[in-house]
Amino acid sequence: MRRMWWGFILALIVGSIALVPGAWAASKPQVGGTLNYAAGADPDSLDPANTDSNPGEAIGRMMNNFLVKFDARLNIHPDLATSWSQSKDGLTWTFKLRKGVKFHDGTPFNAEVVKYNFDRFLGPEKPLKSSLHTPIIQSVEVVDEYTVKFTLKVPFAFFLNNLAHSATALVSPAAHKKWGKDLTLHPVGTGPFKFVEWVRGDRIVLERNDEYYEGKPRLDKVIIRTVREDSARVLGLEAGDYDLIVRIPPEEVPRLQREGRVRVYSEQSNRALRIGINASKKPLDDVRVRQALNYAVDKESIVKNIYQGLAMVIPTMVGPLNTGYAAVKGYPFDPTKAKKLLAEAGYPQGFKTTLWTPKGRYLKDFELAQAVQQQLAAVGVEAKLETFEWGAYLSLLRRPKDESKHDLYLIGWSPSTGEARWGIYPITACDQWRPKGSNDSFYCNKDVDQMIDKAVAATSLKERDAFLKKAQELLVQDPSSIYLLATKETVGMSLKLNGVINSPLELVYVDKDTWKEK
Amino acid sequence: MLRFILHRIFMLGPVLFGVTLVSFSLLHLVPGDPAEILAGQEATKEDVDRIRVEYGLDKPLAVQYVRFLVNAAQGDLGISIQSRHPVRELLFQRLIFTLQLSLASILVASAIGLLAGIVSSTRQYSVFDNASMLGALFGISMPIFWLGLLLILVFAVKLQWLPSGGTGGLRYLILPAIALGSASAAVIARMTRASMLEVTRQDYIRTARATGYRESVVIFRHALKNAMIPVVTVFGLEFGTMLGGAVLTETVFALPGIGRLLVEGIFMRDYPVVQGAMMAVATTFVLVNLLTDVAYAFFDPRIRYE
Repeated sequence: MRRMWWGFILALIVGSIALVPGAWAASKPQVGGTLNYAAGADPDSLDPANTDSNPGEAIGRMMNNFLVKFDARLNIHPDLATSWSQSKDGLTWTFKLRKGVKFHDGTPFNAEVVKYNFDRFLGPEKPLKSSLHTPIIQSVEVVDEYTVKFTLKVPFAFFLNNLAHSATALVSPAAHKKWGKDLTLHPVGTGPFKFVEWVRGDRIVLERNDEYYEGKPRLDKVIIRTVREDSARVLGLEAGDYDLIVRIPPEEVPRLQREGRVRVYSEQSNRALRIGINASKKPLDDVRVRQALNYAVDKESIVKNIYQGLAMVIPTMVGPLNTGYAAVKGYPFDPTKAKKLLAEAGYPQGFKTTLWTPKGRYLKDFELAQAVQQQLAAVGVEAKLETFEWGAYLSLLRRPKDESKHDLYLIGWSPSTGEARWGIYPITACDQWRPKGSNDSFYCNKDVDQMIDKAVAATSLKERDAFLKKAQELLVQDPSSIYLLATKETVGMSLKLNGVINSPLELVYVDKDTWKEK
Repeated sequence: MLRFILHRIFMLGPVLFGVTLVSFSLLHLVPGDPAEILAGQEATKEDVDRIRVEYGLDKPLAVQYVRFLVNAAQGDLGISIQSRHPVRELLFQRLIFTLQLSLASILVASAIGLLAGIVSSTRQYSVFDNASMLGALFGISMPIFWLGLLLILVFAVKLQWLPSGGTGGLRYLILPAIALGSASAAVIARMTRASMLEVTRQDYIRTARATGYRESVVIFRHALKNAMIPVVTVFGLEFGTMLGGAVLTETVFALPGIGRLLVEGIFMRDYPVVQGAMMAVATTFVLVNLLTDVAYAFFDPRIRYE
């Protein structure tokens, strides 16, 4: 009997000791495995200087590095530059570069590489995103092998944000010399994963870069597939065919969370949706009318009912995670005040107008437009809802003022530099009217422009943010649009996957630390 | 017969010319500009104009079209405005895939359709007959999209037997083939049944039975061959449609087929891709029609092509 007891206790002790490594192993990162990533669209380009799409940028972040990079909260950190300094007048920036980094094709990274990349932006090739840098940078010089100097045309407080922009990833000069414009089909970077193949419409395959400067990545391979249909993407995650998927429709989220077989999490993005107002058309040119429209919309209700809470009401068109975002007081829902303002402006019975919207371009865009239409009708503004396919929509919105046919139109904007100035300037500045710039509201407020100019020239962060805050306050008083919300990007992951980056720039990607349980 | 075939292949030239002219015109009539779409929302007018020049989109339309024809005649279909992939390469990849999918689907459709049709015709008004015709009705009525998602839910998510989409071998074609083939199976079943019913009422079938042949021989050697002529027409149409691109199936199952290439190309106003894809689709239709006509001659020796 006693022997039995001893045997039992011994077994218990041995069993517990055996279990401990097992429990330990489950939480300790493992090396190896292939990540199956389902994106919602094909990338347009794998050449960072020429890409404008989220998939293109997300894949770019897996293959490339930058001088400085964003983290998941859009804070700036050293990447291929280890330190930097700015001259007092703000016109010169000097960067010290990281040593011992190599491109996937073996080219060593140094100051010549940086100069080559920026000369490419400033030179005759004019890649798509060159207008990010050409107004700001005068020239780039090599000081020594690991030091580079930028001379700017004007002081620019957001210079680091521009350097962290997806387009400013550093590519191999050798590869660019060899492939030129076709670099997109043969990309070469310094990042944790290197390019293997791109079968358009089917998959992009990346494999581990063993020489990555931050350390060997854990995953062996990343396969990015394009699955356009939302439901099919979600089902694929549930079936285990994909480990990571983007853009889960809000109505699927409660069910997935409840069932717990996959992990879903939502991250606030900077994608600000608003209803643009064409200020060149009567009666929308009257500021009281534009204010009335803002009072008429119940934004909280839209977030709750259409987005299942997966969005955030914002006071202007600046997303909440942008540098320089200020939580100024926005418009509350007040239909009585709306009617009063309309009456003051001479429209006591309201007026007729049109509301344009794309369908499927932004999360729940059509449903959002329908809700706004209903709420406007309640204060007497009869908005006829029209929807267009994206290519046609873009084309129609680019028309110059006298040819413009739009009145109210749903549009989104997410500054890829992660800062408020780019969230404001291109769409509100007096000199950025379509077709020259992106100001399709034909809005013009000299005070707002002035605040933006001051923010750009500011030499301290505090000053910069103060000017931006003033600009946002002015934008509330004299609205360019019906301000609405910033969406949340919901990402789905297998329970076995750890360490995915879900950036507010709507980029979902993996880095060297991401790992997958076997 | 050979002259007939050569003549039909020769006619491909004018057909392709007509197709490219129409698609080029239509795509340019619709609002939307590939340079704007490529440049994106944040682009300035300068950026857009630069792209336009780079891709030759600033030239007059007639010049663009003629340039396209001249290049196409030499085998150069240009590059995709969206991604710079050579169009010929894209078409080749996608056509191969669509061919695989279509073959799999028509096999599924024929297997189910022919069998159901034959058995139904021999057991007219039986339970099997009513059930299979009801099944055919469902097959035609069910939206492919919905059926596809349902198949994924059952076989990929719940049972975990098959993948939910993508490529990688025969396994990946099973669910799409079922989804795509179901509507065709329904049509083939009904057509086969109707045709068989007509043929089996003929005198020569009665004679064959009277001669003492087993029923299976009567059906399969005597009746079926004659019943196939209208069914072959249906085959041709269904197969041709599948080859033309099963956009909905390809979207649900994330398959790189020609249908998605064409539709996505239209959305992006990617002119070279759309032209190339239209040519590919037109060519497959012409060839499938030719095959169908040749098949008639095989099934009905009275048909001669001079």
